[in-house]
Amino acid sequence: MAISADSKQVLKVKTVVKCMQCDYTQERDFQVGDFVLKLVGNCPKDNGPLYIAGIYAETLNQKK
Amino acid sequence: MSLIIVLAQASSQGSQNGAALAFSYIFYIFFIALLALSFFPGVQQKTQIMFLSRDVEQKLQMIENYLKDSKSITEKLLKEKGFPDPKAFLDRVIDRFVIDPVSIEPTDIINRMKLLMRSNEDTVREMIMSANPNLDPMTRSQIEISAEVVNALNLIFKVIRHYLIMAKKLNSIMIMYQLQMVAPIYVKYAEAYSKAQKVFLQGIPIGDGLGPLVASKFLMKSSQKFTVSKDTIAGTLEFEGRKLVVVKAEGPMATVGTPGEGVQNVIEREGGKVSRIITVDAALKLEGEETGTIAEGMGVAMGDPGPEKIAIERVAVKYGIPIDAVIVKMSMEEAITEMRKEVYQAADKVIDYVKRIILERTKPGSTVVLVGVGNTAGIAQ
Repeated sequence: MAISADSKQVLKVKTVVKCMQCDYTQERDFQVGDFVLKLVGNCPKDNGPLYIAGIYAETLNQKK
Repeated sequence: MSLIIVLAQASSQGSQNGAALAFSYIFYIFFIALLALSFFPGVQQKTQIMFLSRDVEQKLQMIENYLKDSKSITEKLLKEKGFPDPKAFLDRVIDRFVIDPVSIEPTDIINRMKLLMRSNEDTVREMIMSANPNLDPMTRSQIEISAEVVNALNLIFKVIRHYLIMAKKLNSIMIMYQLQMVAPIYVKYAEAYSKAQKVFLQGIPIGDGLGPLVASKFLMKSSQKFTVSKDTIAGTLEFEGRKLVVVKAEGPMATVGTPGEGVQNVIEREGGKVSRIITVDAALKLEGEETGTIAEGMGVAMGDPGPEKIAIERVAVKYGIPIDAVIVKMSMEEAITEMRKEVYQAADKVIDYVKRIILERTKPGSTVVLVGVGNTAGIAQ
């Protein structure tokens, strides 16, 4: 089984915010206290509730 | 000796310098002495052991640094959370162990194993809560994880150190060779554990949270949610005429819950009238495989030592329910550190897989149990 990533990865953690009623999606940097399905305000498009749909790490660059 | 003289004469022809001549003499004498010495029994082995042990010591130092780092982070966390004596608490959990149940008499081994594992978890939890009874569940789970990381790193460090000292004492080149081969793997494990602790403390979902993430995407449509077993929650919803019961660990605390017992309770509650169990989990990829690739098969997808997995298998056998497994592949480090984008994106594809399995293999009016297996850190429901 694979133990670790192949290279030294520099990761940036992103939070995906979505509206429960429309297709509004916003991506921002992760903040401590964020968790998936947390309600984080209202949608600027239709005022529907915004929730955190996902939190993931993106590889910025790879140093071999 | 005549060889030295011949070589020295040859050398002196090329150089008239006295110092250079002396150097040549010394060089040849040293070279021949070294050659002769290497034929003495044991010398070669000792030299090899010396070089190998130097390499292992270097790796051991790296593991020790991860351990020290992890201990200082945990001590700082305990201090911040009002523990009266963080060092004393750490000293109690660092060498904590669970003794395996007797296996030469396998009857009821699962229940014995479950009792020991649960008792250990409960005892550590009580130790934490008695030090500070006002801790919220999120902080408590972070302290539990930190204690586990320190415990695991301490074990890796001590075992590698044990074999290194033993190989030196016994002058055993075979032990040293084996140690030198496995030490880099354990350095990687230690590095992954160290990184994981920092991720857990920030409340970021980890790769192993793939199962709970899939479950949470279903559960957000459920209006009925209830606790089914320790640290485990379930919710019901309707999908294409089927009743879908979704089970996951209770988040966003860092816990894996007790999904086996949870599924067992759900199925008993349904009177065994369940047509399919679908398990979703992260799985370790083989070298060369892509992170985030999905595979499906049969059986309980769960990296549990036994009690939880067997609980699902037993209840499935009791009522004759087929068990499907959907897995998403990732490396060990990716499973216990920040959820990678590929894994996050795979969650939506897994939902499509699950929906297809339900439509293809169950009839309208039936009940399906979906289990999102894994650590639910940073993922609510």
